[in-house]
Amino acid sequence: MAEALKIENLYKSFKTGFIPKRKEILKGISLSVEEGEIFGYLGPNGAGKTTTLKCILGLIFPDEGKIEIFGLPYLSLKAKEKIGFLPENPYFYEYLTATEFLSFFGDVFLIKKKEKEEKIRELLHLVGLESWANMALRKFSRGMLQRIGLAQALFNDPSLVLLDEPLGGLDPLGRKEIRDVIVRLKREGKTVLLSSHILQDIEMICDRVAILVDGRIINQGSLHDLISEKILFTEMTISGVDAKDLEGLGEHFSYHGEKILLKVFEEEQIEKILVIVQKKKGRIHSIIPRTETLEDLFVGVVKQDED
Amino acid sequence: MKISFFKEKGLSSVFLIFFLILTCGAYVGIQLKIEQISHNKIPGSSIIYIPSGKYLKYAAFGYSSLLADLIYLWAIQYYSEYTIDDRFDHLDHVFSIIFELDPHYLDPYEIGALIAAYEAQKPDLSLKILDIGLEKNPEQWIFPFLAGHYAQMIKKDYKLAQEYYKKTMEIEDAPPLAKRLYASAAFKSTEYKTSWQTWLEVYQTAEDERIKKIASNHLYQVKASIDIRLIEEAIQKFKARFSRNPMELSQLVRAGFLKSLPKDFDDQDYLYDPRTGKVTPPIIPWKR
Amino acid sequence: MKIKAIAFNTFKEAIRDRILYLLLFFAATTIIFSRVLALITVGDRVKIIKDVGLASLSLFGAIMAIVMGTGLVYKEIDKKTIYSILSKPIHRYQFLLGKYLGLTLTLFIMLALMSLIFLALVFLHTYKIEWNLLLAIFLIFLELSLITSIAILFSCFSTPILSSIFSLSFYLIGHISWGLETLIQKIRPGFSKVLVQIVYILLPNLENFNIKTEVVHYLPIPSQLIFFSTLYGIFYTLFVLTIAVLIFRKRNFI
Repeated sequence: MAEALKIENLYKSFKTGFIPKRKEILKGISLSVEEGEIFGYLGPNGAGKTTTLKCILGLIFPDEGKIEIFGLPYLSLKAKEKIGFLPENPYFYEYLTATEFLSFFGDVFLIKKKEKEEKIRELLHLVGLESWANMALRKFSRGMLQRIGLAQALFNDPSLVLLDEPLGGLDPLGRKEIRDVIVRLKREGKTVLLSSHILQDIEMICDRVAILVDGRIINQGSLHDLISEKILFTEMTISGVDAKDLEGLGEHFSYHGEKILLKVFEEEQIEKILVIVQKKKGRIHSIIPRTETLEDLFVGVVKQDED
Repeated sequence: MKISFFKEKGLSSVFLIFFLILTCGAYVGIQLKIEQISHNKIPGSSIIYIPSGKYLKYAAFGYSSLLADLIYLWAIQYYSEYTIDDRFDHLDHVFSIIFELDPHYLDPYEIGALIAAYEAQKPDLSLKILDIGLEKNPEQWIFPFLAGHYAQMIKKDYKLAQEYYKKTMEIEDAPPLAKRLYASAAFKSTEYKTSWQTWLEVYQTAEDERIKKIASNHLYQVKASIDIRLIEEAIQKFKARFSRNPMELSQLVRAGFLKSLPKDFDDQDYLYDPRTGKVTPPIIPWKR
Repeated sequence: MKIKAIAFNTFKEAIRDRILYLLLFFAATTIIFSRVLALITVGDRVKIIKDVGLASLSLFGAIMAIVMGTGLVYKEIDKKTIYSILSKPIHRYQFLLGKYLGLTLTLFIMLALMSLIFLALVFLHTYKIEWNLLLAIFLIFLELSLITSIAILFSCFSTPILSSIFSLSFYLIGHISWGLETLIQKIRPGFSKVLVQIVYILLPNLENFNIKTEVVHYLPIPSQLIFFSTLYGIFYTLFVLTIAVLIFRKRNFI
């Protein structure tokens, strides 16, 4: 499998402040994204995710390091033709309509008129904005802007799509729609790299992830490898039993009306609780085993780095 | 490992810098060529349209004297541009703007008056400018002094010149020459009495021999003029009575037309030509 | 062409900016006001109209160029619209040139509008078409193109306010440099004289584009002057744009 994106030892620092002081943002990043996968790029705010993306796109020039896109030098026009980019919090030319906006990009890609119009229709359909084709962008909501941004990123049918926080500021329905589009892109054989905070969504669609903390990649690999399938604890919701009876068997009790919610860490304890509930003629509302989530991993990793 | 893009960019950077130097050289060369083409380089004739008035100073936001300097500098260039035929049309206006902006800037008054008098052929404007100069700067004797000159030389208005010289004399630190010019002007405007008195003062207060000599020569001249006028008046009366000129001046006394025969300043007799009836001094004043 | 795409996009954006029309309104008012001025002047009325008119075209045109130019690149960087464009297969210089051409086109339209009002007014007074006026306007356009390039240059690395100040200084210095020439004659020959001469030559001489006096006073205009002034404008503009490209290429868009 070819590498869609390869980064080796990327360093970038900035001079900030009135008396210029060198601040290192990226401290030797290396990662690789395989063709055809969805890659999640995670990290807390200020870790350097957006900086990395800007380096890849040639908006910022790194101090050191090597970047290749499908084996091509990353700054070459050929490489750029294979990329699509959706920036964070996109803002576009307000006075243009959706169609005019996409048409502009078509011109930049030197696509001929007929083909261009066809493409615009296709893209608007893909992102669900057909009905607003002739509305000025300044009237678009945040979610709509995100979607037209995605359309613009996909204009040239790129093989590698870079998305910076694509799900930010969207309602759950919006997020689902974008997720579906991303998955569809993978089905079409494209490679997607997305940076995000929203770990649930990443967990749902990404094949591999990298975790960036303070300019360094702490962890990288497939979700499967990184997150163990060990059961951390089991959440049980029961009623009709006194908390006293459950003493010693579970932790973190919380009460919702008649129901008691508790976390049980040992498997044997689960059985004991079930026995007690049966004896007291209580009810079991739910038993939910919790495995490690990405969030757990993430928080753990970040905390570790802080220490 | 340094990024290879620096090397890639390097070539185009070199090209760009080369192009930069090329275009710079080009425009420098062209500028030099343009300088050779003679053309009117004095821009800004729109200055004419700035309204003058006491509010102008406020509109200049405190930079009025700088503005005055700039406009004055421009004016000097502009008024030497002989290809603009009608450049003197607004001479008055342009300079009044300068005076408004910086009334104590002395050069513009002098130069403005000069331009008005000699180049624009507007001596009245010249005097007006100098009047304004004096009004705003009452301690500057040079303004009425120059005004006197212009009045005398160009307008040939000796009375006016006399007034100006008087004004000059009244100002502290005025040069003594002013007094002498006043006396001369008085003479030329036939105010002999004033002239005589002034020259007398000059003679009496003169500090060096040269001035004394000059004063005495002028006194001679004034006296001669007064005397000759007197004598010729008497001759006219004589002629009226006897239908001929007297043979000698002494006849005028005997006939009673003169009380006594005046002698010149050096106590010499005046010369008389009975054929023409003209009296002349025996010596030219400056040759004494 | 990619540059064309950017140019037209820039043009569409610029032409919608309301400030332009406000300035157009002021320019038109000034030109028409010259008619009123003409009434209270003794002598040739048309002279005032021409003089004030041409000065307005130059001044308001320059203001438009500076206001638009300094905001142009800065706005794209500030609002981050530039990210979407520069991540596409387009050279940075193509983007910059596109912006410049788009803005120049806008200025051309604005100048044409102002000129129309101006020439109409003149025509009403003289009932003939004076080609020299068109020549003067052409040179004003060249001057505006140069000022635009300067505005864009500063906009590449500076905020709109600072850029405006720098651009305005450029405009003022360009019109006063003749004073420097007079000064040069007064300096005694030597090192400082040479230094001042070098500075004088390098500084922009915007008066090359000013043939107002000749046009208004019906003085002859040497064709060599027009030719060389045009070349001067073109080369100086290229010079400035090259600097802009050099700076823009290395810029990190944080």
